[in-house]
Amino acid sequence: MNKLILLFAFALVFVNAGAQNRFFTKDAKINFNSSTPLEDIIAESNQATTFIDIEKNEVAFSVLTTSFKFRRALMEEHFNENYMESAKFPKAKFTGKIVSPIDWKSEKAVVVDVNGELTMHGATKQVTLKAMITPGKTKVTATAELKVTPEDFKIAIPSAVRDKIAKEVTIKIDAVYAPYQQ
Amino acid sequence: MAKLKTFRIILWIFLIGIVVGSAGVYYVFNMPRRNISKENAVYTLEAKQLISYFKSDEAVATKKYLDQTIAVKGEIKSIRTLDNHSMVFSLEDEMEGVSCTVDSADVVKSSSKLSQFVKGSTGTFKGRCSGMLMDIQVINCVPE
Repeated sequence: MNKLILLFAFALVFVNAGAQNRFFTKDAKINFNSSTPLEDIIAESNQATTFIDIEKNEVAFSVLTTSFKFRRALMEEHFNENYMESAKFPKAKFTGKIVSPIDWKSEKAVVVDVNGELTMHGATKQVTLKAMITPGKTKVTATAELKVTPEDFKIAIPSAVRDKIAKEVTIKIDAVYAPYQQ
Repeated sequence: MAKLKTFRIILWIFLIGIVVGSAGVYYVFNMPRRNISKENAVYTLEAKQLISYFKSDEAVATKKYLDQTIAVKGEIKSIRTLDNHSMVFSLEDEMEGVSCTVDSADVVKSSSKLSQFVKGSTGTFKGRCSGMLMDIQVINCVPE
């Protein structure tokens, strides 16, 4: 009987540990800035879904391109219709692995390198980005930044407006993860 | 004399053209946002139906519903307020249901209606479908 209880307790601990391996949020913030002195181009979405698997040190991130908000409605239209072609490619995705050491038991913020693949506009590119992760038992927070060029993702920008859009676009991510219970 | 008259007419046409043209450019540049509350829903359906459409063939459903104004009805499973004060109502399932986001300005405008929407009640939201991640996202929502 005692053995059975022990087994049960062990199973419970094991199941619980399993549930805590993944953290997620559906409300991650992602913004990008491609401003030039000629034009301020800033867009933000609060609807990115992202997972962190703290056992495998893996990260996944995805966002719907039509959820980005710009200062002007016209920019939004151009972004979705001409540049991202959201009807054809509605999602942007990143999957990667944390390659720097990270102690998930500590609750101290640590800067790590993340290697992975970024897919948008139907094109995939290997990227490395820096992220600051603060581990925790009930929540994990992360911020990250990376720079991309539209040309890497086959996004054609007409020469008439090329000077208004930055050559390098800075993408910033801000996420507060909660434990994922399946 | 006749020459001068023609010249004047051409000059006027030219000036009017510039004024109309720049007004047009100004309007397009500062084009107003879509006002979902004034738009009629192209599709009105149950959240469960929408979920099953997207689950059976995401590509086809995306093509049909992306950027369309839709009205979805379903049981509210969770209510969240984001940092920017917009609110997210998840219909039918918190993880894989329909997430309706009401922008902060509309949260203020329709606060009395939204206060009736509690967990477990049935709500209808009209908004713009932006596709599916885990859940189907409907943005710029207004309660109906």
